[in-house]
Amino acid sequence: MPTKFRGVMQSPVTPLKDDFSLDLPTFERLLDFHVRTGATAISWPHHKGESLNLTIPERKRFAEAAVRVVNGRIPVTIHVSALAVEDTMELARHAQAIGADGILAITPYFWTPSLEAIHAYFVRLCRSIELPVLSYNSPSYLAGVEITGDLMSRLIEQLPNFVGVKEASFNSEKFLEISRAALAMRPDFAMLTGVEYLLPSVPLGGIGSYSAAGSICPNLCSQLFDACIGGDWPRARELQSKISWLWLLFRDQYPSSLKGGMVMMGRPVGPTRAPLPTATKERQAYVHGELARLGILDTEPHGW
Amino acid sequence: MPPFNPGLVHTPVTPFTRERAVDYDRYGKLIEFHIGNGADALALPMHAGESVSLPDGERRALLEFAIKCVNGRKPVIAHVSETGTGIAAALARHAEDAGATAVVATTPYYWTPPSAMVLEHFIQIGTAVTIPLFVYNAPEEMAGTKVTAELCRKLIERLPNFAGVVDLSLDWQFMIELMTDAPRLREGFQLLAGTELLVSPAAIGATGLFAPLAGIAPKLVRALYELCRDQKLFEARKVQEQLAALRQAVKPAGVASLKAALRAIGRDCGEPRPPLLPLDAVAYQKVVSELDAIEALRAEPRGW
Repeated sequence: MPTKFRGVMQSPVTPLKDDFSLDLPTFERLLDFHVRTGATAISWPHHKGESLNLTIPERKRFAEAAVRVVNGRIPVTIHVSALAVEDTMELARHAQAIGADGILAITPYFWTPSLEAIHAYFVRLCRSIELPVLSYNSPSYLAGVEITGDLMSRLIEQLPNFVGVKEASFNSEKFLEISRAALAMRPDFAMLTGVEYLLPSVPLGGIGSYSAAGSICPNLCSQLFDACIGGDWPRARELQSKISWLWLLFRDQYPSSLKGGMVMMGRPVGPTRAPLPTATKERQAYVHGELARLGILDTEPHGW
Repeated sequence: MPPFNPGLVHTPVTPFTRERAVDYDRYGKLIEFHIGNGADALALPMHAGESVSLPDGERRALLEFAIKCVNGRKPVIAHVSETGTGIAAALARHAEDAGATAVVATTPYYWTPPSAMVLEHFIQIGTAVTIPLFVYNAPEEMAGTKVTAELCRKLIERLPNFAGVVDLSLDWQFMIELMTDAPRLREGFQLLAGTELLVSPAAIGATGLFAPLAGIAPKLVRALYELCRDQKLFEARKVQEQLAALRQAVKPAGVASLKAALRAIGRDCGEPRPPLLPLDAVAYQKVVSELDAIEALRAEPRGW
């Protein structure tokens, strides 16, 4: 059966009120916006959703909201990565209890664990729940810690609910090392990448990505995926260039500038929690200028 | 001058005798092998050709010998990387005088210079010649020193003969940013993959590659190149995966593995020069058995 985790999946930012508390009504509006504008799945709270700046009770509360608002229209996965592995286990059980469609989990933070430790971590996580588990490989943010091709093979062999990976090295060799191992064993394994890097990954067996800029330009996301899956490489190049330029714009102090850009698109979601800064008026104006230059203001929805 | 498109560039090893002298008889044979087995151009002596282990006079003699052997049948790109900018520029000038079609240079060895110094280094090499200059981006080999898209924009402004980038960063973010701008600023600007991981770069816009594995698997490398050149990227995946497996098998011990593999298939080019060590018997057997496991290699030519 082909994977249900495919296409450009949206990971909403976390709307905050001016006092930095969670803004539930705006979160509900944002979830609905993503579903209406072509998201193929919802996944929350990614780092872009300030996952690591939220308390565990806050994460549970909004996870419940996500499942409730999406209401089965598209799959919802919960990102359960936390500094403490025990919190990850708790969030995974919670995701299953509230009816999520799967979870996403990065290799453990901070400790630079060995391959055996990473193996033990995923085995424990996958055996603690019945939900599909997507893994998350991000060596450049985690001091080089990564899932190797051999480790991927072992995990797939041992764990029936280990169904995919968000491979976010953005590196040909690392993606291929994992995709070769995984797709040979399980052709429906979900090879996903981060930040809409579809053009370089789809020809290697990639089936989708998460999204950085989807709350700004949902149309561009869908068009890029269609062009890549359809093998229309000249068009895919043009669209990938445009959306990657947005990533360069937002990458710095992500997701502060992204939240700033959402103000410019008529979808304000409030400030960003420290240590991340909140986009200043000047930064917002700069982002607005870039969005205008790229034609985003004319081709993407304004407001909710 | 019309843009020079190197296409599939073979990067021969440098054969040594038992006494560690350059084995010119073998080298002549090896060059014939590459020309007869799918090379559109040769680049030498690259790191795979142990450029850094050749004293200056020897390096010049080697290049002159190669250009004489090739005798105009294919373009020869001379590798002129050096620690000192003046030494590299002198090598570049020599290469042009000797009849090279283009030169290629890395960031300077050892100094891990900031980008202003890297810029000056390339400008001095580029202005020393009238033939095209390709810049080689290999942050992993150069202790993290990178060629950035911004640096390339400046090089385009300053150097009329800056022709393109040979990329071994394998970094999608860099390649996409580069190809969003550079081809617009310089007609005929080339992105070339620095190794046989070509599908993602070709999706992004690469037109060729430097192929250190072409001495082992010329047919497979040629097949990958032609599929990518014709933008048959989905069709290229299988060949790409086989070459990724080959790269993974020879990568750990680098040139020593490459030379071990060449010996195993009947094209003995001796051992590497110090400080590189030859493989011991156990490591040699490991490379041989990993090569045997790659089915596609059975169709490759054995012997000279």
